[in-house]
Amino acid sequence: MHSPLSRRLAEIVGGAHVLTGAECAPYVVEGRTPECAVFPGSREDIAAVLGVAADSGTPVMPWGGGTGMALGSPPAHPGLVLGLRRLGRLLEHEPGDLTATVEAGMTLEAFQAELSRRGQWLSLDPPQAARATLGGILASNASGPRRHLYGTARDLLIGITMVLADGAIVRGGGKVVKNVAGYDLPKLAVGSFGTLGVIVEATVKLRPRPDCDRLVVARFSTLAEAGQAARAVMASDLIPSALDVVDGEGLRALDGEGAPGGAALLVGVDGIAEQVEWQCEEVGRLLKDCGLAGVRVLDGTERDEAWRAVGEMPQRAFTDATAGMKWGVLPTQVAELIARAGAVASQRGLRAAFVAHAGLGIISAVLDAAGADAEQVACTLGEWRALVNGSGGHALVEWAPLAVKERIAVWDTPGPDSRIMRQLKAELDPRGILNPGRFLGGI
Amino acid sequence: MPALTEARKKSLRREMEALLGPGAVLSDPDELMVYESDGLTLFRALADFVVFPLTAEHVAALVRLAQREGLPFVARGAGTGLSGGCLPAEGGLVISLMRMNRVLEVDYDNQLAVVEPGLVNLHLSWAVGARGFYYAPDPSSQQACTIGGNIANNSGGPHTLKYGVTTNHVLGLEVVLPDGEIVWLGGKTRDPQGYDLTGIFVGSEGTFGIATKIVLRILRQPQAVRTVLAVFNEIDQASEAVSAIIARGLIPAAMEMIDQLTIQAVEDAFGCGYPRDAAAALLIEMDGLAAGMDEQAARVIAACRETGAREVRLARDEAERQLLWKGRKSAFGAYGRISPAYLVMDGVIPRTRLPYVLRRVNEIVAGYGLRVGNVFHAGDGNLHPNILYDPRKPGEEQRVVAAGGEILKVCAEVGGSISGEHGIGLEKRDYMPLIFSEADLGCMARVKRAFNPTGLCNPGKIFPSRKGCAEAGFASRPHPIEEAGLAQRF
Repeated sequence: MHSPLSRRLAEIVGGAHVLTGAECAPYVVEGRTPECAVFPGSREDIAAVLGVAADSGTPVMPWGGGTGMALGSPPAHPGLVLGLRRLGRLLEHEPGDLTATVEAGMTLEAFQAELSRRGQWLSLDPPQAARATLGGILASNASGPRRHLYGTARDLLIGITMVLADGAIVRGGGKVVKNVAGYDLPKLAVGSFGTLGVIVEATVKLRPRPDCDRLVVARFSTLAEAGQAARAVMASDLIPSALDVVDGEGLRALDGEGAPGGAALLVGVDGIAEQVEWQCEEVGRLLKDCGLAGVRVLDGTERDEAWRAVGEMPQRAFTDATAGMKWGVLPTQVAELIARAGAVASQRGLRAAFVAHAGLGIISAVLDAAGADAEQVACTLGEWRALVNGSGGHALVEWAPLAVKERIAVWDTPGPDSRIMRQLKAELDPRGILNPGRFLGGI
Repeated sequence: MPALTEARKKSLRREMEALLGPGAVLSDPDELMVYESDGLTLFRALADFVVFPLTAEHVAALVRLAQREGLPFVARGAGTGLSGGCLPAEGGLVISLMRMNRVLEVDYDNQLAVVEPGLVNLHLSWAVGARGFYYAPDPSSQQACTIGGNIANNSGGPHTLKYGVTTNHVLGLEVVLPDGEIVWLGGKTRDPQGYDLTGIFVGSEGTFGIATKIVLRILRQPQAVRTVLAVFNEIDQASEAVSAIIARGLIPAAMEMIDQLTIQAVEDAFGCGYPRDAAAALLIEMDGLAAGMDEQAARVIAACRETGAREVRLARDEAERQLLWKGRKSAFGAYGRISPAYLVMDGVIPRTRLPYVLRRVNEIVAGYGLRVGNVFHAGDGNLHPNILYDPRKPGEEQRVVAAGGEILKVCAEVGGSISGEHGIGLEKRDYMPLIFSEADLGCMARVKRAFNPTGLCNPGKIFPSRKGCAEAGFASRPHPIEEAGLAQRF
């Protein structure tokens, strides 16, 4: 099936790199199939594709590994998928500079493998590294537990190249670790979900791989104790690389069986051997007074598997979880909010699981609503949002069935600053062709 | 913009005094002169008024008044900036934030503080120090510079090698937008929804509005610190030591280089115990857990020796550490004693290119018959060549500026940047085309217009002037910034 649109795209990128009709099945978003999926091989071709899209008023959905496409308000009209998989090269890695420049379509796993050969890594550990691409991770501001010490994409990205909606290829930042020349466009790209431009290249700061890296799993009989334990670590001399709290249901992801009422604190420690050993011992000493019920120190594949399990908690805690949210609150509010939200779910006869970056106040909440109708799910998510907003935090519906999204907004009610966001969108994408309608405030 | 008439000035002064109270509005030329430049005295410009608000509402009212009158306005902190960024380049209002200098809230459990923009950087660390906390970004002017100015310039400092620059420590901002609306960007919680307006605001050099409250991360003071001075007979050896330390998997808290001219100036002035005959010294500081600290220090010392350090000195106590840091921190004062004036340059290069670029810097400056002292953040490749000169000698100032321009070209050629922490301001706007294309600048101009559509909020900064465009060969067609209506021709 060849539409005039797909024919024009094929002229730019070659027929082999345009998918249409049933071939687009892997690119369905919110039940909607795109008109076509196009895979340009260069930034110039991306610019040309955007030109065609603008001419025909076709919305464009930039696509990396597809791991984050459930996030956002449902698109009104799916338009065309612009896949970055052909831009997948590591362009530069200078170990002495602790920087690397990479194309947007490279997966995080492939990138880390390359860096690892020279003893370095990008200190960012979001889930699904085998599929998630650098461009997608930046666009969705994905992160993992080690953000506790090493920060998020905004802290690690030092240069960005984007293709804007009008085809302009623009660069912000640079290739050096310290740089204040011009506006900090990399910050604008992070978390913009492809609404301002198509990310084609990024330069990031790297770190040396630590000599040792361990995970201390501390078990508690109550969530409140685990929350206290997290606060005790925060107030101590310890410098953990990660500090996650997992509730009883969330523990299912770790060992296959939950511990209703129980909880765990996961403390990551890395560095040179002496530091890591001291920290592991100190965690044990410190948490004794917090009601520690058991502690294990994991290393090697056991450690990696445990972190992977925590990252994939939404998929692993329940056989068929219904919806997920991400909340941002104050670190001191974490344990109490999880307890209250868990109670809200159980009052409705639903199960919920939680994992939190306890030192930062970022909570991932998952609802298992097998058998419940969309209305009930939406109401529960709505109550959670009210709880979080009422505590001064923010709550995002990360993924949910379309029927639920029809009943509850994906994003919080935008604040007064959203006026500037809309102006930015209007300046950079005046015709609204990049991922329209999926972002905060209808952007 | 036509000059204000005396009558109009008088009536505006009355209006602002009614708003701010007596003594909060300056318009007498003698008083205005205090505010005619910042730390970079090459540029001077007089405002019509300098005003001292106490609240965000005051700032908002002043901004609305400026917009109503079509007057340019610019925020100013302590005036320690080094790129002319807070100059009233086109007259109008200077809004000084120096009276808004309180620490409003400290939340130790959540490790954050809410402060006003006029707070002096170091005063925040003092305020939270008793409880074992500190604020990490430490620009060399931290005894005087303000948090608001740090926000505008995304300031760095020696310890940013490990801890990051200002932007990595800002969670949220209450700002007065250029149209006078007060809004929050970000807040106390992480990952706020929508675009990272906090991130784009930091480092926007006062062109996106005026921050009136700032939420900052505060960190726990490290358990242990080790400070090492490594002395080299050749600059190249010191540069190589920087790479060797990184190659050993270490990221020290700070890694500063001080060259011979600077060492001698500092020793003459203050006697900090640096060897006068050394070609360069590296001041390296590690901090963190007490456990493993000796091992880290040993690795650093080994790396220095391997690259040819003739002497490596580990500070035995806090007094000795302070003395070593005094040598680094008093460099600028010491230049003042050996030269009537000096221009502080700021450029960044990939740290592996240090040996080449330092040689080029010294050649360029010598070629102009001038002297240069280098004292800089070697760990992150942030150069600070300080060109000494005498402004009373005809033509010397022009030679300094020309030499500075050549140094920036070298930074750009090796893939670096024309500013690491001082900002573009007025000083470097015409060098922007060295590292950014027309399309890049056009994109920035559009971002600016989203915040600052009338252009009255700190005009004339960051973007190349018409004259600079011509020099850079951009004169053949309208510059994208002109097309966006953001720059006038003058």
